[in-house]
Amino acid sequence: MSTILRRLCAVAIALIATATIHASPLQHEHREQPWTPEILESFGSLPIQDGGRIKPLSTYAGFTLLRVSGKRSVVSASGEKLDPVAWLLDVVFFPEAAIDTPTFLVTDSDAIVAIGLSTDGKRKRDRWTYAELQPGMPRLFALAHEYESIEPKLRSSQQQQIVDLASNVFSFMRLARFLDFARGGDTKDGGALALIPPANTDPSVTDWATPGDLIARVGPKQGLAEADSAVISGFITLVEKRTDPGAFAAALASLRDRLVARATARGEYEHIQLERAYYAFDPIQWSLAAFIAAFLTVAVSWLRPKSRFLWLSNVTLTSIATVLLAIAITLRCIIRGRPPVSTLYETVLFVTATGVLIAVFIEWVQRSRVAIGTAAALGMIGLFVANGYETLDKQDTMPSLVAVLDTNFWLATHVTAITIGYSAGMLAAGLASFYLIGKLFGWKRNDPAARRSLARTVYGVLCFAVIFSTVGTILGGIWANESWGRFWGWDPKENGALLIVISQLVILHARRGGFLRDHGTCAAAAFGGTIVAFSWWGVNLLGVGLHSYGFTSGIHTSLWTYYGVQWSIVALGGIAWLRERAAAKKVPAATVELAQQCEKKMRAAA
Amino acid sequence: MVRKIARGVLTVASSLATCCVLLVLLGLLTWLGTLEQTRTGLFEVQRKYFESFILFHDFGRFSIPLPGANLVMCLLAVNLAVGGFVRIRKSWATAGVIVTHVGIAMLLMSALVKHNWSSDGHVTLYEGQSADHFESYFRWELAVIEQLDGGRVREHLVPHERIEEAQRIPVSLNAADIPFTVQIESVSKNCRPERAQSTSAHGPVVIDGVKLVPREVDARAEANIAGACVSIFDEQTGTRRRALLWGAEAQPFTFVAAGKAWAVSLRKERYAMPFAIQLARFNKTEHPGTNMPRSFESEVQVASGSSSRDVKISMNEPLRDGGLVLYQASWGPSNARPGDRLFSTFAVVRNPADQWPLAACLVIAAGLLFHFVRKLTRYVKLEMRAA
Repeated sequence: MSTILRRLCAVAIALIATATIHASPLQHEHREQPWTPEILESFGSLPIQDGGRIKPLSTYAGFTLLRVSGKRSVVSASGEKLDPVAWLLDVVFFPEAAIDTPTFLVTDSDAIVAIGLSTDGKRKRDRWTYAELQPGMPRLFALAHEYESIEPKLRSSQQQQIVDLASNVFSFMRLARFLDFARGGDTKDGGALALIPPANTDPSVTDWATPGDLIARVGPKQGLAEADSAVISGFITLVEKRTDPGAFAAALASLRDRLVARATARGEYEHIQLERAYYAFDPIQWSLAAFIAAFLTVAVSWLRPKSRFLWLSNVTLTSIATVLLAIAITLRCIIRGRPPVSTLYETVLFVTATGVLIAVFIEWVQRSRVAIGTAAALGMIGLFVANGYETLDKQDTMPSLVAVLDTNFWLATHVTAITIGYSAGMLAAGLASFYLIGKLFGWKRNDPAARRSLARTVYGVLCFAVIFSTVGTILGGIWANESWGRFWGWDPKENGALLIVISQLVILHARRGGFLRDHGTCAAAAFGGTIVAFSWWGVNLLGVGLHSYGFTSGIHTSLWTYYGVQWSIVALGGIAWLRERAAAKKVPAATVELAQQCEKKMRAAA
Repeated sequence: MVRKIARGVLTVASSLATCCVLLVLLGLLTWLGTLEQTRTGLFEVQRKYFESFILFHDFGRFSIPLPGANLVMCLLAVNLAVGGFVRIRKSWATAGVIVTHVGIAMLLMSALVKHNWSSDGHVTLYEGQSADHFESYFRWELAVIEQLDGGRVREHLVPHERIEEAQRIPVSLNAADIPFTVQIESVSKNCRPERAQSTSAHGPVVIDGVKLVPREVDARAEANIAGACVSIFDEQTGTRRRALLWGAEAQPFTFVAAGKAWAVSLRKERYAMPFAIQLARFNKTEHPGTNMPRSFESEVQVASGSSSRDVKISMNEPLRDGGLVLYQASWGPSNARPGDRLFSTFAVVRNPADQWPLAACLVIAAGLLFHFVRKLTRYVKLEMRAA
């Protein structure tokens, strides 16, 4: 008891001293050995309230490290590879060592020059340590303060980099000083990690506390509740025992149990272990691996098109990948208690999954080997896009939603329908591209039935797409009517959806009217892929409208690459068509000649 | 001959080629109208591309005439009606397609009804306040208010269209039960009052040391504040009063005529509601530990006649009553501290076709699904037999 009192006194003194002591002198103690798996497990499974939801600390650490360093691992000064949890442990418990870990990704060293530092010995795109950046910090923060007043859309890439770097350095500082109160330093900066659930189970109290919040509640008349002071002393013990792995692990486990018990009592620990398992198992990366393997077998099967073994292994691998992706999507639904699609990231997963499923179904019906190959390619590209987007966006992919989006009914109906529409539109574009390119390279030159069949498949997928695009778009209007009182407002995202519907309707009507045949349908469907991409990603880049949930910078290049590829395919398809027509004109001439020769011979014979 | 021409027109009107051309045009307009929004406001784009019959789009240095979306959709409706129900072959094979076309027609009908016979506006209430009318976002009216006995009032109104007319020629209100004539001499769509000494030859009218200075009309219609110069001529006494009315003024212009108190006010058009609504409480919550809104909810009492009921209006959960729909639209003051009195703004829409799109959506979904499943099962059977 007396020790707790003494510690609390120290805390109180620290509180008073805050005004004068800016930072405690850092004690130069280094970690002797790697963090044990036990410590990593205990620390990573701590629940934290962040971005409006309760998540495992490991998820928080993962996205924070991704934001700061551009990937989910760093290599310390001593050459040790650190995963996000180990990195966060270092920052919080050994800040004096963590400042020497190259953590901060600077994509263009011009930003470093701008803050007055030398770039000697560093590459243009490199990771910098906190210690290296320290001399430039006053300038960094001054510039960031200036640039922040500029609208994000109008910032130059260097200005954006400075703003991001300053924000990352600031996050790092807050984490590094998170336990300063336990080192006898400043207590004000205990604000980084809301790790402490409220002690009661009152659902109207929703905010979790940081140690700093608890200490701030201490007044002349009011001390800390016993349960809270136990938590605070738990943190203090951790700091004291940080160089003794055994004692540290024991203290961490006991603090963890205390915090988890509180969260469990409030019903807020339910899905933490599931989310841990989701990220530990990482079904999306396994799914991607299976899609890549499937795609490689497809590539090999171009050399040996008749091999049943290759076809079977392709089907098996694609099916495994699809199942893994479905598991990932299902787990995410359970963790967040929401329908499968509620963010831009999740649209990618869902579009990929449904596109592949439709393709697998087509393969099951046709056994043509084209659909399954497209499935593998689509799955692989889709998951690459998902990974790329996650790395670019650097935000939790299971975030809280703003009030208007936070409705399971409309997410389940409108969003799901429109996303299936995207998916079918993309699949149609994929199959159609295969048709056009295949024709150029003489695929099934002597088997017009196979070509016809593929073109009919494209048409069938478009019919499927039009159902979901149309119904999804109208449902979107009905949702808007329910939440804003207007069915249609010519908002860019609405227009994008309408463009998809119109383009698909044009293809279907033109085919019905005989204006487009097999080749034309495929060319139009391949072009339609770019309309889907415009609606899905392009309109978000315009930066106007109500649907600004998908803020995406740096996607321009990928999007324009896709546009370029599809338009080139349509153009190449045009060449193939012209060549075919020219060949078709030649055939009658040859036939006539043959007939004339026959006639001559017959006359001669007569 | 006439029959031949009629048949030709009918063939063109109902043809798939016409359909494709119109759809491509609609797509083009949608695309251009979307890109244009990065340069101009939504309101302007809507007017130019989507509510017009003809427009000129600037492609760099060239200005190209295009049919407006309004025209294209009217033609599409004709094409749909003639080609999609009348002339289409009727069989099980086309049943799904016909049903889908019926659904699209329903959707077009609901757009027509909404466009011509709906009104919308808003009502803003502080906690504890109540209202039995809502007001337009941008339509103005001139109200001549007569003070009756017992605190009641009677209103004589000049509607929006006539006020717009007054931009060109003076407009008079001269009703039998008003003992004077009100003439709107001039109107400005968007203006601000300023102090002034005296009327200059070409400048705005100065009355009581104030003039209304015209400003550029804002693309967001609701951001404009109208102003008017009116003169009130009392024929019995021969007196003429002139007044400047400004849309954002809190108090109307008041005077006495024929022994009664009168007031004149330029205000947003008001529409009576068949019930009164009182805001009891406004609740907003954020996701814990963030500034991200989680829910907005207004607890209101709806009273009509002698009965009254408690209702909650929140995001995605509007109140539907008496042909009106009330949506949670906004709240404030934005700088309110905990415990401050808040206000809540409801968007109010009177739309006879409110729920038609839902019916249309179900019809379209049924038609498309029927057609697709029918074709798919036949195709799968065929493929399976071939394999």
